[in-house]
Parts: sequence; C-alpha cells; structure tokens
Amino acid sequence: MDVNIIAGSTTKFGELWHVSPRDMVRQVVEDVIDQAMISRSKLQAIFIGNMLSSSLGGQDHLGAFFAEELGLSIPAVKVEGACASGGLAVHTGCLAIMSGLYDTVLVVGVEKMTDYKPETVASVLMGAGSEAEREAGLTFPALYALMTRVHMKKWSTTEKDLAYVSVKNHFHASLNSHAQFPYQVTLEQVLKSPVIASPLKLLDCSPITDGAAAIILTRNKKAAIRNKTVSIIASVVATDTLGLAEREDLSSLKASVIAAKNAYHQSGISPKDIDVVEVHDCFTIAEIIAMEDLGFFPKGKASFAIKEGVTKLGGYPVVNTSGGLKASGHPVGATGVKQVVEIYQQLTGRGGKKQVKDARIGLTHNVGGSGATAVIHILKCL
Amino acid sequence: MKVGILGYGVYLPKYRVKVSDIASVWGKNSAEIEKLLGLKEKSVSSFDEDAVTQAFEAASISLKHANVSASELEVCLVGSESHPYAVNPTSTIVAEFLGVGQNYLASDLQFACKAATSGIIATFGLIACGKINIGLVIGSDKAQAKTHDILEYTSSSAAASYVLGNNLNESIMQIVDFASFSSDTPDFWRRDGVRFPSHGGRFTGEPAYFAHVMGAAKNLLEKTKLQPSDFSYCVFHMPNGKFPKEVAKRLGFTSQQLAPSLIFEEVGNPYSASSLLGLCAVLDIAKPGQLIFMVSYGSGAGSDSFVFKTLEALDKKRKSNQPFSRLASHKKNISYIDYLKYGRKI
Amino acid sequence: MISPVKIWRNQKKIKTLLGCKGKIISWSKIHVPPAGFENQAPYVVVIVSLESGKNYTAQFVDWEEEHLRIGQRVRAVLRRTREPGEEGVIPYGVKFKPL
Repeated sequence: MDVNIIAGSTTKFGELWHVSPRDMVRQVVEDVIDQAMISRSKLQAIFIGNMLSSSLGGQDHLGAFFAEELGLSIPAVKVEGACASGGLAVHTGCLAIMSGLYDTVLVVGVEKMTDYKPETVASVLMGAGSEAEREAGLTFPALYALMTRVHMKKWSTTEKDLAYVSVKNHFHASLNSHAQFPYQVTLEQVLKSPVIASPLKLLDCSPITDGAAAIILTRNKKAAIRNKTVSIIASVVATDTLGLAEREDLSSLKASVIAAKNAYHQSGISPKDIDVVEVHDCFTIAEIIAMEDLGFFPKGKASFAIKEGVTKLGGYPVVNTSGGLKASGHPVGATGVKQVVEIYQQLTGRGGKKQVKDARIGLTHNVGGSGATAVIHILKCL
Repeated sequence: MKVGILGYGVYLPKYRVKVSDIASVWGKNSAEIEKLLGLKEKSVSSFDEDAVTQAFEAASISLKHANVSASELEVCLVGSESHPYAVNPTSTIVAEFLGVGQNYLASDLQFACKAATSGIIATFGLIACGKINIGLVIGSDKAQAKTHDILEYTSSSAAASYVLGNNLNESIMQIVDFASFSSDTPDFWRRDGVRFPSHGGRFTGEPAYFAHVMGAAKNLLEKTKLQPSDFSYCVFHMPNGKFPKEVAKRLGFTSQQLAPSLIFEEVGNPYSASSLLGLCAVLDIAKPGQLIFMVSYGSGAGSDSFVFKTLEALDKKRKSNQPFSRLASHKKNISYIDYLKYGRKI
Repeated sequence: MISPVKIWRNQKKIKTLLGCKGKIISWSKIHVPPAGFENQAPYVVVIVSLESGKNYTAQFVDWEEEHLRIGQRVRAVLRRTREPGEEGVIPYGVKFKPL
C-alpha cells in the first residue's frame, strides 16, 4: 500500500450549540490544508463519513453539500456505515489513491447530533440495526447490554470490570483538550450512575456529541512534521449480520476478528508490535470485547489486563489515548476519522500530554452498529 | 344439519386491579362497592394488548382444542365493543395471523356485550343449511370505562373463542336451539368518536337487562317446552354480581345450577366475552349428556338464549385445554396508576 | 405514520413465529427508551433461541423478576408493537411471554 497521511485535525467534541456542520468541516479542512502545506488545488476528491444528516437534518447529497461549502468542485462522495462511516470514508480514501486515479484526497468525518432531543437521536441511531430491533424498542445501549450479559455469563465479567474501562478512558480524556469530557471519573461514580439498559449504566455509555475530523491522504511521500512519514499499511473492512439475533456469538464481534486477521496479514504486523490503539468503545463492554477480538488478549482475559492498567498511559499497548468514544465523545460519522487523527498525532510526536513514548505503530478499530461493520487501519511511522 | 361446538378457548390477561385500589383514589368506601357489585378485582390487559391480540390467543387455543387447523375454517366472526378500528375488520387481522387462508367469510359484529352470541347464531345458520362445515366465533373486549364511573370497577378484558362444526361425533356439545329478544332500549351506549361509553344508571336494570334476558329465556323455554329443572347448568351475562343471580332466581333456576358460571367474581365483566366465558367455565366441569341454558345480553338492547347439550367428546377432549379456574389463577395485581397506563388513559 | 404496505408485508414473517417456543439467550431492561417508546419504559427486551434453530429479538411481556435469566423458556405471543399514532395502521408483532 502506498498511502500516507500528511495532516490530521479534529474540532473540539461536545455539545456545540453555536456551531453548524458547515462550520465544523470548514474548520478542520482549513486546518489540514494548513498543516500539509499544500495548495487547495492539490486536493482531488473528498470522502465524507456521516450517518445522520438525512434522518435528522433532511440533507442527503452530502458530497455536493460540502464540496460547495469548501469551494472545491471536485469528486465528492458521502460514505455511510452507521458508526463506522468515518472508518469507511478513510478506507474509501485509501482505495481512491490505490486505484491510481487520485494522488491526494481529503477525508472528512462529521456529525451534528445535538440539534434534536436525545429520544429522537436514540431512535434514528437504530437505523444502524435491524427492523426487528427497532420494532422491539431497542436502543444502542440495549444492543450492547445484550452482549454484555452474555459476556458476563461466559467469562464472569463484572460491572466493576466494565467500570475500569470508563475510568481509564476518562483519565486519558483529562489530558485531551478536544475531549467532550476532559475530566476523570471514579469507579464509584461509574457504578452508581443510573441504569440505561441493564446492566449498562450512564457512565458505561458514550455520549451524544457534535464534532468533525479530517485527514489528507496522499500517494506522494511528503516530508511530514518532524521528519516522520506516517503510512497506512493496512485498511481492512469486514461485515457480519445486521442484527444481533443472527450472530453466532454474542460475546464477540466476528467482523472485528476477521478485519483484524486480514489487517495483520495485509501489514505483516501482529498485536505485540502495536504501541498505541484507538478502539471503538461506544460502551465499556465494547472495549473489553475489542481487545479480545483484535488479539491483544485471550478471550475472557481483557478485563483483567485493563483493570491492572496494562492499557493505560505508561503501559503497552496504550488504548484510547484520546479518551475513546466514552470520554472524548462519539460524533458518529467523525469518530472513525478522529481515531486515525489521534494515531497520526501519536506517531508524529504531537500527542501532547497524552503522548505515548516512542509510538511507531498504531491501530484504529471502528465499528458500525452492533458489529455489522468493522474497519481497521494500521498506521506505521516509516 | 346438526350443529355442534368442536372446541373452545379462553384468553385472560395476566393483570388485575383491586376494587379497593380504585375506590381509595376516588375516596369511596371499598367494602360497600365490593358488596354492591360482587367482586374484589377485575382483569386488565397490558397496554400492548387489544381485542385483536386477545381474540388471536383465544382462537389459537380453541383450534387446538377442536383439533381443527385454521385452513379448514370457512367463517370467522369477531364480536366486540372495542374493535381497534371503526373501519377495518378485526376478523381478518385475527384470521390472517391464524393462517386461515383466503377462502372464508369474515365479519365484525357489534352489539355491546352480545356481539359474539349473535355470531354463534349466524354461524349456526350457515352450517345448518349445509353451506359451510366449520366456523370460528370469538368474543373479545378490552373494555374501557370512564374514570370515576361505577363501570370502572367492573369493565374488564378477556376473550372467548368457539369452533362450530357439523361433525357431532367430534363435538363437545350440540347447539340444540336458540331464541332472541330485541328492542330499542338505550341503556348503555357509546357515540362514534367518543372514547368511553355512557349509561342510564338504574335504567340498565329492569327495563334493560331483566326485560331482555327474561324475554329471550321465556321465548326459548316455550319454544323447546323445557323447564329450568331440565338443565344441569345455566349461564347469564354478568354485568355485575347481582343481576345473574336475580334473573336465575326469577326464571326458576337454582344457585347450584348457576354457580360454576360466575366468572364475574374472578375477572369482572369482559363485555362480549362475558357469557361465553361463563359457558367455558361450565364446560370445564360439565359431563356428557347434560343440558346447559345460556342467555347473553347486549345493551341497546337484546338477548340471545341457547340450549346446549353436552356430548361424549367433551370428556375425550378435556385434557387438551386448561380450565378457566387455572387460567384465572395466573394473575398479578397492579396499581391503579399502572391500570391507567395500560389503558392509555395517562 | 408507519407504511401500511410494510405492515402488510411483515405479516407473513410474524405468522411463522406466533406460538413458537424457545429460550432466552440474553436480556436487558431498558430504562431510557427511544422516541415512540417513552410511555412503555422500563421494558425488557430479549433475544430468544427458538426451537426452529433461529434467534429472534423482541420485547418480553408478563414477566416476573425470576424470569429475567438466560435459559428461561418462553413462548411467542401476538401484541401491538410500535405506536401507530392517531391515524396510522396498527402494527402487530411478536413478543415473548415466560412459559
């Protein structure tokens, strides 16, 4: 693969009442163009990751929408895969470059969720699931709660185990100025938070967030910041059934397992080589399951490692330095791109207070729905 | 052609609300009300149940009891005063879910609490004249009453389903004869578009219930030349605990003949399912070769009276059905607030 | 308003599930419902492994606390599902009841 990242930027994530999707995208795009030190005319295509513009805002045709906003009359495509929209947009950007048709492309992820009541957002988010799930009144927390209960039965995972994930990610977020919740939480606070869908509580769940992120991908090896070049050495997508009822095993995401295997194969990397990881912790259980699915820990053993601080800053591999979805926020379409930005920043030494020492290889894991889509990128500093 | 009942089925919702819980909210004397009306609690359907879902469950059970598959049905009639639609038949929704197919007659009936018994008479006619072999008749209601009204203590939910056919060898009882008594008597009504019914208070007694039940009963007894003492059991529509006992006495039936039918004491008045449910309770314990007398009542007003004769198959088929008493014991009390929630009043 | 055509097409699938028996393979009590289900919360959802071999996700009704466990035997019943609003066709579907 000959795909390189030469710039990455995110907005602050949070409830951005005064800020529109246009504002957010303009901000990150201007920032990456600045960072990459290239002229606008070098950008040959835009790929936009977004899930809810249509169901919430009535706006389809997002490619054209943002192409106009940015003043770039270039090929523009919206990519959608529920919460994996961002990761899929990055993947599409990689495909665009590998196809040979484009040299340099812009990938943007954006989501505006706070213009509507939480109940409405909860309802449209279920567009990521199956009709039967919508008909039964399920929500995202419920989908992952159903998985949690099975994982608990199979591996004796406890609510406390889940809480440790939240505590760690909030600790990382407290070092991230762009995070939605840049503050720590205690184990007790997590365990005492109100139940959303049993057994998942409020502080087990990622929030509703506005935000955008952008990266510039190019074939040409450009000397990037501090003489480091970051390449994408694996970009893999895998799919599983849409609804939980049709899955083989509710305590694992088969799409993650397959995507990971293929990504390791594509890149020649194995989990022990990876320094820093951004996994899709839409709910605390999701991080535990991901660490097992991605091969970092054997099944049933991830929560122990997390509890021991193995994946906290100072450990190895360090997971979710951004604060993850839980603490930095989850603007659905933006998350997959923001994860790549975080790893890019880590690998180029721009991680600030949350910098992982000597980070050379990183992995991002972005999931759509309750696991129907999984997108994995592996980034390496050359 | 002789016409018999091949099987029956009952659906009772799980929930009950106590008279005392309702009375305490409105500052009434619960003990007085319980004594006046003759019940302590009534059955309540969940917010996601309605006449359709209840009819379906009862019908499924009746088909199993009758040992008839849905595709054999040629008629499906549903009587209710709480059909979910003013226009769109309950009967086809229920029949579709049962898997009846498409070659059948479906119709919805409305006549307050006697909608379903009219259906029995109509189906009897179709079978007796040889036009059809098997038909399904269901009485199902999720009764609504105005809050703070006396009816709030008694109007309840349930469904009863009967499979009728011309094969007497497989019938648990034969429909021997019937009669009706009808008039224009506005004792209890609900205008189109209005949510809760209204009634004429004590007017619902002598000129309404008693006049019509007695009228239909006398018509039938005269017609068949039978006397109350010829019957093992009697069933009357139960709008409260007193009326059926009083009318039985006036007609010359004993309290022993009446007792097994008094489902009102357990579940209240499920309107179109009331007398049919009483009949189910009797059939649970009746023996072959007995006569049963039943009179329904529908406000507006009218009564249908029936003479049934139980047959051998009643014993044969008994274990494939759960008796009313067992079904009624699977219950859970809910608060008045939950009762209002389930009835979508709050 | 839910499309009457979609409701109509859906009936065939529902028919095949009614009366089926199975057991719970996971459950959750939802305290925070999505739009359209506000007046029902809290309610329980389950994934049931049916005797036919397939799984199905639906609401759990008429339950007691002791029924909320993996392995509980259940039966499919007919109930109203989504809110039809004032005017819409009423969608009926499958929910599960403890055996």
